[in-house]
Amino acid sequence: MNDISPSTLLALVPLLPLVGAILTVALGRVLGSRAHLPAIAGIAAAFVVAVMLLSGMAREVGVGSTGHDHAAKPVEMVTTLWQWAGIGDAAAPGDGNSAAKAFAIPVALRLDPLTATLLVIITGVGLLVAIYSIGYMHGDPGYPRFFALVSAFVFSMSMLVAASNFLLVYVFWEAVGACSYLLIGFWFTKPEAAKAAKKAFLVNRIGDFGLAVATFLLWMTYGTLNFHDTTLADGTLVPGILGATRLADASAYVGGAVGTAICLLFLLAACGKSAQLPLHVWLPDAMEGPTPASSLIHAATMVTAGIYLVARTAPLFEACPGALTLVSIVGATTALVAALIGTVQNDLKRVLAYSTISQLGYMFAALGTGTLLGFTAAIFHLVTHAFFKALLFMGAGSVMHAMGGVIDMRRFGGLRRVMPITAATFLVGALALAGVAPFAGFFSKDEILASLHSRGWPDAHGEHHDAAPAGGHAATGATFHLASVTPDAAQFAGGARGSALDALNTPATWRILFWMSLVTAALTAFYTFRAVFMTFTGPTRVPDEAGHHAHESPPSMTIPLAILAALSAVSGWWLFSTHSLASFLASTPSFTAPAVASTATPPAFHWDLAIQGTLAAAIGIVVAALGHLGRRSDGPQMERFLGPLETLFANRFFFDQIYSALIVKPLEMVATLAAMIDRHLIDGLVDTIARIPVALGSVVRHLQSGLVQRYALAGVIGTLLIVLALVARAMG
Amino acid sequence: MNGFSPSSHLLLTIAAPLVGAVIAWLLGSRGVSAVRQSAAVTTLVTLALAAWLIVRYLADPATASGLPYGLVEFPWLTEGIFDVRFSLGLDGLSLWMFGLAALLSVTAVFVSWDAIKDRPVGFYVLLLVLEAAMLGVFAARDVILFYVFFEFTLVPLFFLIGIWGHDERRKAAVKFFIYTLTGSVLTFLGLLTIVLWHANHAGVVTFDIESLVDGTKIHPLPMTAAGGWLQMVVFLALLAGFAVKVPIVPFHTWLPLAHVEAPTGGSVDLAGVLLKLGIYGFLRFSMPMLPEATAVAAPWLFGLGVVGIVYGALVALVQTDLKRLIAYSSVSHMGYIVMGLFALTPVATEGANLQLVNHGLSSAGLFALVGMIYERFHTRNIASLGGIASKAPWLAVFFMLFTFSSIGLPGLNGFVGEFMILLGSFQRAWSGVSPAWQFAYLVMALLAVAGVVLGAWYMLWAVERVLFGGSREPPRSAGHGHEPGHADHGHGGHGHGGHGAADDHDRCDLRWHELAAVLPLAVFVLWIGLTPATFLAPAAPAVRKATAASAVAFAARMQAETTATVARITNP
Repeated sequence: MNDISPSTLLALVPLLPLVGAILTVALGRVLGSRAHLPAIAGIAAAFVVAVMLLSGMAREVGVGSTGHDHAAKPVEMVTTLWQWAGIGDAAAPGDGNSAAKAFAIPVALRLDPLTATLLVIITGVGLLVAIYSIGYMHGDPGYPRFFALVSAFVFSMSMLVAASNFLLVYVFWEAVGACSYLLIGFWFTKPEAAKAAKKAFLVNRIGDFGLAVATFLLWMTYGTLNFHDTTLADGTLVPGILGATRLADASAYVGGAVGTAICLLFLLAACGKSAQLPLHVWLPDAMEGPTPASSLIHAATMVTAGIYLVARTAPLFEACPGALTLVSIVGATTALVAALIGTVQNDLKRVLAYSTISQLGYMFAALGTGTLLGFTAAIFHLVTHAFFKALLFMGAGSVMHAMGGVIDMRRFGGLRRVMPITAATFLVGALALAGVAPFAGFFSKDEILASLHSRGWPDAHGEHHDAAPAGGHAATGATFHLASVTPDAAQFAGGARGSALDALNTPATWRILFWMSLVTAALTAFYTFRAVFMTFTGPTRVPDEAGHHAHESPPSMTIPLAILAALSAVSGWWLFSTHSLASFLASTPSFTAPAVASTATPPAFHWDLAIQGTLAAAIGIVVAALGHLGRRSDGPQMERFLGPLETLFANRFFFDQIYSALIVKPLEMVATLAAMIDRHLIDGLVDTIARIPVALGSVVRHLQSGLVQRYALAGVIGTLLIVLALVARAMG
Repeated sequence: MNGFSPSSHLLLTIAAPLVGAVIAWLLGSRGVSAVRQSAAVTTLVTLALAAWLIVRYLADPATASGLPYGLVEFPWLTEGIFDVRFSLGLDGLSLWMFGLAALLSVTAVFVSWDAIKDRPVGFYVLLLVLEAAMLGVFAARDVILFYVFFEFTLVPLFFLIGIWGHDERRKAAVKFFIYTLTGSVLTFLGLLTIVLWHANHAGVVTFDIESLVDGTKIHPLPMTAAGGWLQMVVFLALLAGFAVKVPIVPFHTWLPLAHVEAPTGGSVDLAGVLLKLGIYGFLRFSMPMLPEATAVAAPWLFGLGVVGIVYGALVALVQTDLKRLIAYSSVSHMGYIVMGLFALTPVATEGANLQLVNHGLSSAGLFALVGMIYERFHTRNIASLGGIASKAPWLAVFFMLFTFSSIGLPGLNGFVGEFMILLGSFQRAWSGVSPAWQFAYLVMALLAVAGVVLGAWYMLWAVERVLFGGSREPPRSAGHGHEPGHADHGHGGHGHGGHGAADDHDRCDLRWHELAAVLPLAVFVLWIGLTPATFLAPAAPAVRKATAASAVAFAARMQAETTATVARITNP
């Protein structure tokens, strides 16, 4: 492998699945029921390469060899494939203010600990999902199309996390959205699937709006869209937004109104892609797609793009403590609301969908703390969640496969006797999700709670960040070290050192967020085990749709389940006890910014939090057991105790209805009005004006032959006569 | 190659469709297939010539500095001081539009293959004359010649709509003709005024566009009350024609009618090429010759562009006719181009110039596919269509692709132009206008970005209803769409869905000539999307040159306004 450079390897990770996708399209008909081969080969090869890159990166960072007190050095490698678009001199005349002097967009890929970690997760889970799909999608008329789309998705997602330029991030941000659209609408003859696909795309477009405007503002503020530093032909250094030059300078990031606006727009984008309040409404509907796609895209990978974005842009967020706090508020609120909705869902996949929304909310809550612990905890949870949620979705798919497409938990029960492997692996996933020690979710959730706790009770952690650990580093107009920050932005920032949002950033807020997260933990355990008990315990019942062949799924499906179950069982303990992931991630350039790195704390196991978390999980499981263990799943439900709240939860807090009444319907009315104005007012006016010459013409009716050629000729001759007359006059 | 100079190459490319038109006319007695085959060969030969010319253009280092290529010049109407020349040449402004016109002419012929049974000779002759006019108008370097070609694009299209159109073809044709003719006569008078102004000051009556640009630099048309605001008056006269052509809201109502009634081939040329003449006119005449007036009008046209984006999208949202929906989407998308053009920043104007080509490809592709849908199902009513993805998967794939291009999905061409337009407009709003304008500009720029959401809404709504779902109508009736999809182009993983899928009996996928109509467009949709730099760079110097004077004038105006505001605040 010595003769293949790391940059070639990096390019191979997205390239191999892309080739797989193209081959699947080209050869799909020839391969028939073997159409999965190119896709699986491509993703598998990409996985191998990604693992090589990860181990190479780990060697470079030196995981394990250095002490934890050792400050992490930024490690990155950037490779430029080709110049996508460029305008050398993009400054508009008279525009002395903007930093935007050149518009240069290279197709540049990067490798750093964060990217390397995510590439392994994307290709690894992608591979397992693809293998699982051999069994799950068997016999579907769209079999090749499915594998082509999954491959295309792995390509787009790898590019998204490897891109070293904000425009490129936007490109693949939308590209994964398009793959998601096509996979949700995979069974496009089902009207619900077609509708859900459209809804997902449109809600995501609202998020994309945020990302687009944020990108514009970044370009105007920092004069480049690259993450990395670049050198121009004349030798000038252009500091990248997340490049070494800027990272070294604590005051290089714009705070104030402009900085906050950029961060809030990022948050909007993240809310769209990662299904956070108030843009979460597309994800439950997205369950209309094939279950393996839900597992890969709508649980393990694509929906974590928002986490990635916020983590990647950590230094920008650090300059805006108010925006950071809002990230946590959105995250913790989403986590709680989605968990509440999840408690009354009867569709197994929808329970898991709300659970995904809720767990992503956890990750946002951790990110918003703005501490190194928070960022690494979010990524840690992203990794473990990818394992156990992919596992749970595939388990649900296995159930659905055996039940003849039925997924309503009230219609089956006691399936542990029918499909023991699925039941056992599902139970492991449920334990991990509920946060029961020593399964994976326990450790990552513990870190998240710890990060929130450290902000709510700073003294208890022996740390002395003030209300805002990072606020002190926020750049203000007067102290820019990098000349490229615009005076205009400075004007915006200068007046207020922070923004009104900073008022949210108090220990009291963080304490509330911590308690919300703890309640969410209990709810999570409840709805997870409610689903486990309803599906797998009680008297064995299968719906008519399953026919007489309700059975365990084929090995192509159960082997991926077993692998993911193993990972869900041990990965948390392994990654936590060795502290390998956290110390590895700390070398990600974005996390070496002084504002982040200064919050580093020695790794610790928080017994008090572990006990609280375990207690919460235990309460949830016990309540679920009281209501559902061993009972018929179509019997009376726990929610009868909820009273009016049941209506609220069952209707998902009425989000869809509110959006329909407040946004969709009014817009449709405006559109109808616009169409009427168009037809009657504007076009009517045109017709009226057009009638005037006709009326005049009736006087000279004999000239009207009705032949337009003649009119045209008359027009041309007339104009030429006018010309000649004018020329004659001008020449005198 | 020595014997084949760029000049004769250019001339031959423009003349080829006319020669083909004569051949098609002579073959008239041999029946439909001889005529359409000759038309197809003609457009393919013309496309080959045009492509080769573009390759030669790109290979010539002189063009990189903005020099025109393939100059042709004959005295045409030289009488005393009167000097009209038959003068042709390509530069960065015209290069891609020239190529697009040649490309879409092929599409126009192939989409008409089965659709036109009635008087095919006349149809194809007009289509080829239209091609020559489209090629000529972008190559013209003389005002009179430009105007002649400009009018010549009008007449064939008038007959194409009026004779081969649908139920309301007469009304649509007349409206189209009167509307655009009225506008273009005013434009012509405006251009003549520039010629005369220049003649008065330079002593020669030249119609040469480049001389006029240089001349108006030395002797700009007056922008003062004493000079009768002549520059503004002329700008408005030019605007009359260009605004109708683009069309800028509220001068757009001819467009949906013309599109809905036009035969598919006509729609392809109309949406793909002819709408662009308005923008091309701004770049070729208004901006370089009338910079101060452009600077005054820019904020308003920028705003009208945004109005067009939002208004066009909203009206599209409630259309029931698929073709009408796409016509309104054109109104919306042309709004982006107008906005980008009058943002007057390098990124926005170059993006707008590229977006001319991008919109040409996606809208022509969509109109072509709507025509194919109509041939199969005899309706364009969105409510009556459905499940086409099961019956004609390749048709659906292309429809999806052009939809994605139209809504600006990254990786495809539409994204590049849209993103650059919005980025450049934001740059303008952020730091390139006086404080008095800034709020309005920021709001407009944000509205334009929001328009991207609306754009996805109506297009995906249409896709959901038309392509997806179960079928609602018998797939075909007598006369059309009998052949099932050919295996030679039907390979690949795009089968029909799992539920209620149509069996092979119902299949009515693309036939070879339909594939030939849309596949080349799809290639460019991807090509431009992946390496836009290839397409941006050759046009950049010319766009820069065309917009520089206006951008400077605009900056001066904003500077003056800022100074005045500051003075007012400091010395109340």
